[in-house]
Amino acid sequence: MRRVRDQLSITAIHAVLIAWTLLALFPLVLIVVNSLKTRKAIFGDPLGLPTGKALSFKGYESVMTNSDFPLFFGNSLIVTCVSLFLILLFGAMAAHAVSEYEFKGNTFISLYLIVGIMVPIRLGTVALLNLIVDLGLANTLTALILVYTAQGLPVAIFIFTEFLRSVSREIKDSARIDGLSEYRIFFEVVLPLVRPVIATVAVFSMIPIWNDLWFPLILSPGEDTRTVTLGVQQFIGQYTVKWGSVLASLSVAILPVLVMYVIFSRQLIRGITTGAVKG
Amino acid sequence: MATLALKSVKKAFGDTTVIQNMDLSVEHGELVVFVGPSGCGKSTLLRMIAGLETLTAGEIHIDGQRIDYQPPSNRGIAMVFQSYALYPHKDVRGNLGFSLKHAKVDKAEIDKRVNIAADILGLQDLMSRKPRELSGGQRQRVAIGRAIVREPKVFLFDEPLSNLDAALRVHMRVEILKLHQRLKNTMVYVTHDQVEAMTLADRIVVFRNGSVEQVGTPLELYRQPANQFVAGFIGSPAMNFLKARCVDGHIALGSDRVCDCPQAEEGDVTLGMRPEHLKIDENGQLQGEVQVFEHLGGEAFVHLTLDDGQNLVAKLDGEHYLRPGERCTLGIEPEKCHVFDTAGLRISTD
Repeated sequence: MRRVRDQLSITAIHAVLIAWTLLALFPLVLIVVNSLKTRKAIFGDPLGLPTGKALSFKGYESVMTNSDFPLFFGNSLIVTCVSLFLILLFGAMAAHAVSEYEFKGNTFISLYLIVGIMVPIRLGTVALLNLIVDLGLANTLTALILVYTAQGLPVAIFIFTEFLRSVSREIKDSARIDGLSEYRIFFEVVLPLVRPVIATVAVFSMIPIWNDLWFPLILSPGEDTRTVTLGVQQFIGQYTVKWGSVLASLSVAILPVLVMYVIFSRQLIRGITTGAVKG
Repeated sequence: MATLALKSVKKAFGDTTVIQNMDLSVEHGELVVFVGPSGCGKSTLLRMIAGLETLTAGEIHIDGQRIDYQPPSNRGIAMVFQSYALYPHKDVRGNLGFSLKHAKVDKAEIDKRVNIAADILGLQDLMSRKPRELSGGQRQRVAIGRAIVREPKVFLFDEPLSNLDAALRVHMRVEILKLHQRLKNTMVYVTHDQVEAMTLADRIVVFRNGSVEQVGTPLELYRQPANQFVAGFIGSPAMNFLKARCVDGHIALGSDRVCDCPQAEEGDVTLGMRPEHLKIDENGQLQGEVQVFEHLGGEAFVHLTLDDGQNLVAKLDGEHYLRPGERCTLGIEPEKCHVFDTAGLRISTD
């Protein structure tokens, strides 16, 4: 009797999880499937598979040959990677400073660094635009990188601070006795210990940057500096929309995020299972 | 080999003073143990010697050179921590050689010193393991090895055995003692465990509330404790303290005379008796009722409530067997008694 009940509950849990997975994957699959179909098939049978006459690579062809898609793709990659690097570097360093050292105004500074979580950065768009124009950075990738770094830092500092506090003080002291400078303690002792946290912060910060349409549209809408999300808009005209191309570029745009996620999440799992933080 | 000297060392966190005017000198090759209850400032003092805490006032000298303004790595010290503090992402060899590699020591020299340390501590088979693949005792050996490799003038140990289980602790205690006999380095060892202090130390420094209660060899502390605190802290089970009176040049417990009173004036005193010095003696001065009897095989502890209501523990040999509720009479040789005045200071019986 008990076994039957256990079986039932396991089945129920799996049913819920499978339903959730299908729900989450459905739009993605729909994009990828329809990107492989002719325009007629997309509208005639949106849920149909790309078989026989419906199959067409025209979307991908036009994206790769008749557009600046590779350029946009590169722009997105540069902006995301550089912002991510800066967020992780400065976020971890700031968190190390406020969690490791005792100094006057420590609490005030950590609150000041974190309070950004509560203020949506888009509220400051007009001021940001003015600033970027005054700095002569309009229509550059630098403008986007600066804004995204600022946007990602509060959450990164928040998460890092919590975890860096848990790093054993004795390990850091032991490194001090070994003669390491404070910078080397941070890079060679503390950072390797919080690798799983770096992965977590990276995943949290990466996706909003890659997917953002708002700031590319306002700060760098120029031909050469468009990102993928903005670039896709060129296929959406006032009278006609090249759905095949839109879906094809979106499908390709999923890839790097997916790859980065897989890399980071494996790191995340490995870090947790080996208990690297335990001295 | 080196000497260590503390001169009027003081430490305060805000308004709280944790170390008060501390003077101490440690000789060449001496193993000095700082012992005291938790929060007494002994670890803070060790961290100040290491350079991990600043001094509020005073000076620290190693080999006659003032080092308290130097960074930890220039002081010629090495420290072993309670939590081992190994680098989890480096293997044993990496952990042992890390400080030398950082100090840009020649590769061959690093290998030589790492191998010597590994031989001393029996780590050769574990060299390529990560700390998480080691047992507690092995980790602590690596932590000690990391200190040996630095060839320091002074070794500092901060409760290195507290994280180990009881059997391993006894084993590692012997290892540390052997290590000291082999290396003959000056060592400072912090612990709250009086057994570790008694077995390891050349000299013990007993701390309480940031100041030194007594400094002396283990036997001096055991035989002539300067005050009631030291008397109660050294020895296990702890010394019994009974309220007594000094009458006619004798210490009297109720109507029984226990020993001579070393002081002239009459009045209240505290009588200290070590459990191991009490014996079953029909003519003894201490009568009471057995409350609890703990038999450990070779020896036994009897917890007694005396007729005047005071409690007492005695350590008897394993041949005795008493039941709760039984009457029991204990005696003690007069010269084994310790007498303390009302302020808790020892009244010399010599």
